[in-house]
Amino acid sequence: MEAKESKNFLKPIYFVLNEAGEITYFSLRFFRLIFKRPFEFSEFVRQCYYIGNKSLPLVAVTALIMGLVITIQSRPTLVEFGAEAWLPKMVSVSLVREIVPVITALICAGKIGSGIGAELGSMKVTEQIDAMEVSGTNPFKFLVVTRVLGTTLMIPVLTVLADAISLYGAYLGTNIRGVVSWNLFWNQVFDVLVYADIIPSLLKTFFFGFAIGIVGCYKGYNSQKGTEGVGISANSSVVISSLLVFVLDLIAVQITDLLGFT
Amino acid sequence: MDFNTEKDVVIKVRNLYKSFGNNKVLIDFNLDLFSGECVAVLGKSGSGKSVLIKCIIGLIKYERGEIKVLGNEISELETDELDKIRAQVGFLFQSNALYDSMTVKENLLFPLRRHKRNLSNIEVNSLVEEALDNVKLPHTANMMPSELSGGMKKRIALARTLILKPKIILYDEPTTGLDPITSREISNLMIEIQEKYKTSSVLISHDINCVKIVADRIVMLIDGTNYKQGLYDELKNSNDIKVTHFFN
Ligand SMILES: Nc1ncnc2c1ncn2[C@@H]1O[C@H](COP(=O)(O)OP(=O)(O)O)[C@@H](O)[C@H]1O
Ligand SMILES: [Mg+2]
Repeated sequence: MEAKESKNFLKPIYFVLNEAGEITYFSLRFFRLIFKRPFEFSEFVRQCYYIGNKSLPLVAVTALIMGLVITIQSRPTLVEFGAEAWLPKMVSVSLVREIVPVITALICAGKIGSGIGAELGSMKVTEQIDAMEVSGTNPFKFLVVTRVLGTTLMIPVLTVLADAISLYGAYLGTNIRGVVSWNLFWNQVFDVLVYADIIPSLLKTFFFGFAIGIVGCYKGYNSQKGTEGVGISANSSVVISSLLVFVLDLIAVQITDLLGFT
Repeated sequence: MDFNTEKDVVIKVRNLYKSFGNNKVLIDFNLDLFSGECVAVLGKSGSGKSVLIKCIIGLIKYERGEIKVLGNEISELETDELDKIRAQVGFLFQSNALYDSMTVKENLLFPLRRHKRNLSNIEVNSLVEEALDNVKLPHTANMMPSELSGGMKKRIALARTLILKPKIILYDEPTTGLDPITSREISNLMIEIQEKYKTSSVLISHDINCVKIVADRIVMLIDGTNYKQGLYDELKNSNDIKVTHFFN
């Protein structure tokens, strides 16, 4: 390895570039196989169910609390400017555009990303992946393609549910101090939320989902031997995919800004 | 090779070379497996035994040499041709490789459904029953692998290998990590299976007791080569310390 000979401070850079290259290559393999028969449809459905089922409670509770907290925190500032009536509008935009998608993705990175990393890691270590291959199955397709498609599809679905729950939290939050009727609240929310808010924020969650799935699978599939390796896989899945969620979010914000969806 | 020359060779390995970076694992390995026999490959831990049988089944790509399984050169096969060979070659993994998320029955069905797509449910169920009976664990179909003991896991893994009625079975250290009594039971099971289905097998091991009762002859894997071969007693009484070393 060249990294060994290069100076110490270059090592992390080499490591990051190498990892990025490997993950890109891994993703290309995913795209090459995605349209090839046979489709592992029942495994895909099982994964979707599993992903949704596993993270919905946590996502729901967090979304409700985020809705409540952001609303309660924003009130004093708006009151200061005499703009209390703007509370539902302001809060719903920040929730739907930014807070809920990112929080949902982070929760899923923690719960699903680590789960996939650990599951595939232990399958690798105990030769289950080899066993699939000798059983006439392409393990990459059976394990990786189904899981990555699962996260790519389910994280947007979870985000939409979380959006709704967090807005309900915001409704509760506005009614702790003021009185805003159910109808008035939703009128205000949908008055301000336009497709230009919802579509980009939903589109980016597909990328979040893809990143979480691909990183978890990559880490698990390339797990080092031994039980220690499985732990490392699970852990680094969470770290890398969380980081990627922020990076992707930054890119998404820049793009929507450039395109004028503000 | 002057053993059983009149019989068919089912696996032929010639001048096999495989390295990982600077780690030369197999340098020049040769092996013939004749129809109906069990050959043990004996070597110490880390000598490349698993690498050898994973090359034979096409899980690891080798750099030089040839491997013919049932007459087919493994490195030249397309995926679907390789799958056809794999349906006839069972592989018992050292770590059993039972799918944790599936029941015992689903584990057995996995290779069956994928290698033989047009079986009816009745046929499938009777094959599962037969496979579980063969390993003497008839009432475990709905259990999860985590509920099984080490010896039971090994038997279920063997049942999963047997369900396709393979012509050849590759055993990767089948008794490692088991207590002596269970090891003995697994060894006996291997003999029974060999007699019942007339399989040919390669047994990778460093467990001399298992090798002694199961194998017809022994090939020593030392320094990446087929260092010496012969019958159990011949090797045991050899005057080469590298060989006798294993027999104490
Ligand atoms: N996928 C791999 N990548 C790198 N080195 C490997 C790989 N598989 C095996 N090796 C190396 O090959 C050597 C032989 O391993 P193995 O065949 O598992 O030994 P054993 O005889 O105990 O089964 C070991 O030094 C191991 O580190
Ligand atoms: Mg081994």
